[in-house]
Amino acid sequence: MGRKAAVAATATAVALVLASCSGGGGDDDGTDGGGGGGGSDPDATLHLALSQDVETLLPMDSNVGDNISVLDVVYDGLVRYDPKTTEPYNYVAESVETEDNTVWTIKIKPDLTFQNGEPVDADAFARAWNYAAYGPNAMANNYFFERIAGYDEMQGETDDEGNVTKEPEAETLSGLKVVDPQTLEVTLTGPFAGFATMLGYTGFFPIAQACLDDIEACAVQPIGNGPFQVEKWDQGVNLTAQRWEDYTLEETPEYGAIEWTEYTGEDNWPDFQAGNLDFAVPPPAEQQAAANDPDLQERYVEGPGAALTYLAFPLYKDGPWTDVEFRKAISLAVDRQGIIDALLPGQRVPADSWVVPDVVPGGTGGTCEWCTFDPEAAKAALEKAGGWPEGEKLTIHLGQDATEQELFKAVGDSIQETLGIPYELDATPDYFARRAARDFSGPFRANWFPDYPLNENYLAPVYASGDEKNGNVEFGYYSADFEAAVKAGDEAATLDEAVTQYQEAEKILATDFPTIPLFVAQNTDYYSENVSNVVLDPFSGEPKLRLLEVTNG
Amino acid sequence: MGRYILRRSLLGVATLLLVMFVLHLLTTFAIQLNGNPALAFFGDKVPTESQLAAVETRFGLDDPCYDQTGNPCLGPFVERLGQYAQGDFGTNLRGREVTDIVATAAPNTLKLFLVVTIVWFVLGMGLGTAAARRRDRSADHGIRLTSVLIDAFPIFVLLLVYRYVFAVPLNGWAEDTFGAGSLPALWFRPSFDDDHPWATLLVPGILLGLAGSAAFIRLVRASQLESYAGDHVRTARSRGLNERHVVTHHVIRNSAVPVVTAVGLTFTEALAGAVVTEGMMNIYGMGGVLWEAVRAADVALILGIVTILAAVTVVVMLVVDIAYAALDPRIRYA
Amino acid sequence: MPERAAPGPTAATATPDAPAVDASTSLGGDAWRRLRRRPDVIAAAVVVVFFAVMAAFPRLFTSTNPQSCVIGDSKIRPQGLGGEHPLGTDVHGCDLLAQLVHGARPSLTLAFVVVGASLLIGVTLGLLAGYYLGWVDSVVSRTIEVFLVIPLLLAALLLLTLFRKVSVGGGTFDVILLPAVVLTMFGWMAYARYVRAATLEAKNLDYVTAARALGASDLRVMVRHVLPNAIGPVTALVPTAIAGVISTEAVLAFLGIGVRPPAISWGIMITNGADWVTGGYAYLLLYPLGCLVLTVLALVALGDALRDALDPRLR
Repeated sequence: MGRKAAVAATATAVALVLASCSGGGGDDDGTDGGGGGGGSDPDATLHLALSQDVETLLPMDSNVGDNISVLDVVYDGLVRYDPKTTEPYNYVAESVETEDNTVWTIKIKPDLTFQNGEPVDADAFARAWNYAAYGPNAMANNYFFERIAGYDEMQGETDDEGNVTKEPEAETLSGLKVVDPQTLEVTLTGPFAGFATMLGYTGFFPIAQACLDDIEACAVQPIGNGPFQVEKWDQGVNLTAQRWEDYTLEETPEYGAIEWTEYTGEDNWPDFQAGNLDFAVPPPAEQQAAANDPDLQERYVEGPGAALTYLAFPLYKDGPWTDVEFRKAISLAVDRQGIIDALLPGQRVPADSWVVPDVVPGGTGGTCEWCTFDPEAAKAALEKAGGWPEGEKLTIHLGQDATEQELFKAVGDSIQETLGIPYELDATPDYFARRAARDFSGPFRANWFPDYPLNENYLAPVYASGDEKNGNVEFGYYSADFEAAVKAGDEAATLDEAVTQYQEAEKILATDFPTIPLFVAQNTDYYSENVSNVVLDPFSGEPKLRLLEVTNG
Repeated sequence: MGRYILRRSLLGVATLLLVMFVLHLLTTFAIQLNGNPALAFFGDKVPTESQLAAVETRFGLDDPCYDQTGNPCLGPFVERLGQYAQGDFGTNLRGREVTDIVATAAPNTLKLFLVVTIVWFVLGMGLGTAAARRRDRSADHGIRLTSVLIDAFPIFVLLLVYRYVFAVPLNGWAEDTFGAGSLPALWFRPSFDDDHPWATLLVPGILLGLAGSAAFIRLVRASQLESYAGDHVRTARSRGLNERHVVTHHVIRNSAVPVVTAVGLTFTEALAGAVVTEGMMNIYGMGGVLWEAVRAADVALILGIVTILAAVTVVVMLVVDIAYAALDPRIRYA
Repeated sequence: MPERAAPGPTAATATPDAPAVDASTSLGGDAWRRLRRRPDVIAAAVVVVFFAVMAAFPRLFTSTNPQSCVIGDSKIRPQGLGGEHPLGTDVHGCDLLAQLVHGARPSLTLAFVVVGASLLIGVTLGLLAGYYLGWVDSVVSRTIEVFLVIPLLLAALLLLTLFRKVSVGGGTFDVILLPAVVLTMFGWMAYARYVRAATLEAKNLDYVTAARALGASDLRVMVRHVLPNAIGPVTALVPTAIAGVISTEAVLAFLGIGVRPPAISWGIMITNGADWVTGGYAYLLLYPLGCLVLTVLALVALGDALRDALDPRLR
């Protein structure tokens, strides 16, 4: 019961926030505000950039930032997230209830349809989830369903050579029951208080039967249930969406169309300056000029981000890093603020916690005691750890992203200058494969971007493994206390209690110090004169398209 | 002549097959040595064996030979050739038709190359001829100096400065003067616009052509200097033909032959410039697509595109050879 | 006509017993005398020597460690001679002068290694193909064609992927090894074509036919009589080719497949500096680009002069 009340209360609060947003109308910059209320022009088009590596618009298969932001206006999920607090509130769901955090009953609002006329009912969700959970379909969001009963039976088995030795036993999730067209009952493998929080994620969107019948077509031309309808996707070039006139729910913007232009890189600032895009972030060299432009400063928005960059250690390998004092020394030797100021001013903030503050429930700053730049303390800690072996080089492994290479060169320089440890960067294209194979011989860059807004998501998926002997795959970390704290959180009666339990788990990390938090992304954006009421999603960093007001310039 | 063309065509096909096989081997070894491109699919997550196997199947990498280092994977190669013969070029790792990708990307690159080729030819013939005629005078030195400067200036610096320093003000000026959406405004658009491919490709094409033109200027100059010293020119002059006639008929026309050859040969080299230009000007073209394909170890896409690209190159070389033979009959008997 | 040491392979292979070679020697000597008299050639040579010395003995020019970077000293503008950072610092706070000086070695070594190796491969194959014709020529011609068809960049990327597991050390040669292999693989074809054509011509010269009739071995005929005729036009290509490799290194660095950080090369400096050219820190680009342009300019001037001097038809 308590659970239901909490969700309902959040929903009301959010409704108020939304009302105040659209009622305020932003700064009325001389337009007549055509159409009914708000500041949008019904035939205005919003121009956005999209990264070229978007390959699919299938919700079950989309887990990169860019397709998620497209799908956010094409599909509606069971819950949506408050733009400020990221707390979930019911949207397509009438209610999400549970007694024991194991069996969840989801009631779906009546009379909702897909853009092709099919009903959005319990079946629509069940078919999407079953498709995603079925191993051989190889959907990118497959792992989201592992908490639902019957998931394991849907995965095949393979031998060491990768040959399938056993076909999956089941084609549907046994924990998923369509009670009636408006009711879906979900049974989890164990209690998980945060399940309702996951439901707004892209992977949980419903799909129409017509979509399942022709998955390939649907990946390019989605049949959504959201306020916008994909008109044409010229893959690699551009994507256009029109407002869906028959949309019945409340969160829909007033403007008429969105055009995404695909970019190979992130270098689209000149296009923004030339008026071809409505949003852009300047490259480092242009930041100073943009910051000094009073006109641009009026069209600048920033907010906390959710991505955490940290330095991890191969604790599975013998080395100085197995000593916690050594890891402290490294952490204290990194001039986080100096690096940000020189390389990416405004786009990162120094990290001092394992859960990013202000963005997810339970995230607070300052949980990391040794995340400040203190050369003297760093040297002292290194001495305590027994120093660094003479003549050896510290290898820092990372992927091939150019910006990250710049950042980690500076991190390495900082360590080298403070502790006198010579370093080398190993920017490897097989970063993920090598990390999974435990093939690193020194500290490595790692980055976590949460899948759903709950502090648990920064902790359990990253550090928990249940494998006492080897520790988790990535770093070889294992702590019985940590595992117990996470479990206690999963089993907590309410979400609030769960959040508190997860915070306990974070405290254990702060003592064990398996990884070093370095930077937290800061969301920033400049926008054109055509748009107003810009709110950045703290989670994705993208502007909330449903709240935007757009006029024709 | 007919037999010559036939022989050259057959050799062209042989080259094509050889190229495809070499690339197939390289890509296969890359996968065998470096592990599975399917792993990239999972990003931050560590997949289970069965998840990985499922993705391998989806990506068409489930043939066991990809796990055996040193195995040339002839099976998949022959299978692929068979599919090519039926006009089926397969799909990339994420299931998009290779032919669809090429159909979108190739026209843009070809348009870019056309602009580039014209720039090469115009600049090469124009400046090269001018330099040769005024040999060792200030015009000659000036042109040669410029050509070296162009050569030394990396193309990405040229494009970067253009985009950030010139494009935006020029675009603004053109929009104010000629109206938004007018042709001059499109010329100076900071990036490619699919609705107006020619207008937005013009400036990037000219810049890329400029960057590669130095070699042509030098080539034309050198070949014309040779002509000036050649017997046929001396004869023509001694026969009292006027200088203008001698220059156009005997010097300039002869120097066009090596330039045509060089254009054919520089075609693949221009791909490097195309990768940079396409990337920076946001043109969806073959260079960029190929680049990404190699990074992702996307065998089907690499082979598909390279096959098409190599086919074009082989045809260009063939045409050049035939044109050469037509211009210079001695070649045929060589 | 007094004999004197002439530059380049022309003289190195010259022997007095063959008539054509004799002509070639005097041609070399003549070329040398012509070159000495041109002020632009002297200036170009001085520039090339200057940078070569820089590459060989970087400590003569700076005592600062180019790898010692303090992020707090980021982007200090040039302070002029006598300052702690005469040319300022880059984004990471590394001393620009030190980077420039130490960056010369990989850039120049790469260029010389690539051109040297390409020349060796190209001349050998061209000579063999032109001399023996038949199946040797077929194989060489087909190989040339295959290499011309495969785009350099694609191969560079593929080879790099192939060998990325191979651990290369941090020495100068290790750092440039991969780009050197790739650029050599795709740099020899022009030489092979030139030499093959020249060999075809030279083979039918009277004295070569005579030497063969007298029973000289193939190797002797090739090296002593054919090669000296074929090498002339190729020699003139060398400085320009070196210049080309230096420029290409910059493009490879830009694409992330050339000399790799933390090693420094001019190409890497240009790539990094290019990001800041519009932010008011143009010196980060201009110094390395200036060095590159100057070197290339000097090499091309030498190449052109050498070509003019060696080609009798242009006199």
